[in-house]
Amino acid sequence: MKLIELYLEEIRHRLPPRNREDILREIHSVLMDTLEDRDSNTGQAFDEETIKSVLKEFGSPRKIARQYGAHNYLIGPRFFPLYILVLKIVLIVITALNVLGVSVVFISQSGFGTGMWETISTILGGVLNTLFTGFGIVTLAFACIERTTPEDWGVDFEKDWQPEDLYKEENQERIKLAELAVGITMNLILIAALNFFLDRIGIYYLSDSGWVSTPILNENFKPFIPWITAYAIMDITLSIYLIRKEYWDKTGSIAQIFINVFKIAVISAIISSPGIITIDPTTWQQLFPNAELTAQGLTHTVNLVLEILMGIAIFGLSVDSIKRLYLTFIKGRHTVIEINKD
Amino acid sequence: MSNDAIQEQTQNLVQELRRGVIILAVLSQLHEEQYGYSLMKSLEDQGMQIDQGTLYPLLRRLEEQKLLESNWRMDTSRPRRYYILSDFGRQVLEEMTLEWSRIKTTVDQLLEK
Repeated sequence: MKLIELYLEEIRHRLPPRNREDILREIHSVLMDTLEDRDSNTGQAFDEETIKSVLKEFGSPRKIARQYGAHNYLIGPRFFPLYILVLKIVLIVITALNVLGVSVVFISQSGFGTGMWETISTILGGVLNTLFTGFGIVTLAFACIERTTPEDWGVDFEKDWQPEDLYKEENQERIKLAELAVGITMNLILIAALNFFLDRIGIYYLSDSGWVSTPILNENFKPFIPWITAYAIMDITLSIYLIRKEYWDKTGSIAQIFINVFKIAVISAIISSPGIITIDPTTWQQLFPNAELTAQGLTHTVNLVLEILMGIAIFGLSVDSIKRLYLTFIKGRHTVIEINKD
Repeated sequence: MSNDAIQEQTQNLVQELRRGVIILAVLSQLHEEQYGYSLMKSLEDQGMQIDQGTLYPLLRRLEEQKLLESNWRMDTSRPRRYYILSDFGRQVLEEMTLEWSRIKTTVDQLLEK
């Protein structure tokens, strides 16, 4: 019976929310009727082989979900999970960029003034506008994909589906889509910022001649850019691989450990190099003319704080690598899926 | 053309042909209340085999189109959804039956020529 619960669960997360519970209840009822008809041991639990053969006959959860959703929705079960993922990424990027914009205004003006509220309300208005636009574009794109992709797309893959796969998937640690989506977004922002907008990473302030920015990353940092870009690309590649797989497998875990070791090496090299941040004395003087702390003193403190943060990151990466090693090679099996039994 | 190709093409076309009459077949069996599995068996016994993956979503679609009515019955060994023709469904079925007779006569005549 466990196999049936797993089967229904696999169908559940592929169904659009409308009528989800009712459809599942019906599929459950049909499965039980079919099993009862096939199994001669009335009153006893159905044997595993009968369950497997009935499930095989019904077909993969993906197929069942598609049959119940075909043509009734703007975006059907085939593309629904991918649609949600892309939507999350797009909305997170838009929100992150806008929050960054608000932060820059706040930090560079070191407090709220009258003009500041005006700027922020304009930005917030823009946030809503861009969020709706992003939502609209993604939805429209997926609606077009839904209507132009042939009905039998991916059917060959589904023919190979076996009920035993449900156990295999159960024994794996499911990936966290939202986490991976945020990871991909952050890495893309990191790659773009370091390779194309390095001079924009800095202190922003409003001078007499308008908005001015002073870069804070110095020459010591530049040799690390290709290495940081490399691990960001590796991270993105692994995330895409995991999204396709839907769970952590041995290859994914080994790749994650390798990337973690690579990151630790890069971060260690950054820590052992001279400070990578320099606060420009002229900017500092202009922003805080009466400050006791000199630009040189601040540079030293910021680099020290950064080194501590990088040390914490190394610790986190080490813990993550050990956890993955343990889950993959020692424990052998991973987190169990929680089955909703209603 | 090889025999296999003829068989395959015939099978595809027969499937298409059956797809067109499945709705009529399903509606015709729902003057009396039936749950999905019993309906599938009854159709099968009369020579009309329908895959469950086709039947159940079809029943839901027909209900959405107001041709069928359904209710969950708890008085059986386990909850089951029973379907029956609605008044609207009965009228549509009558019209469809007439249309089917006309199509059948026409096609028979065409095939005889």
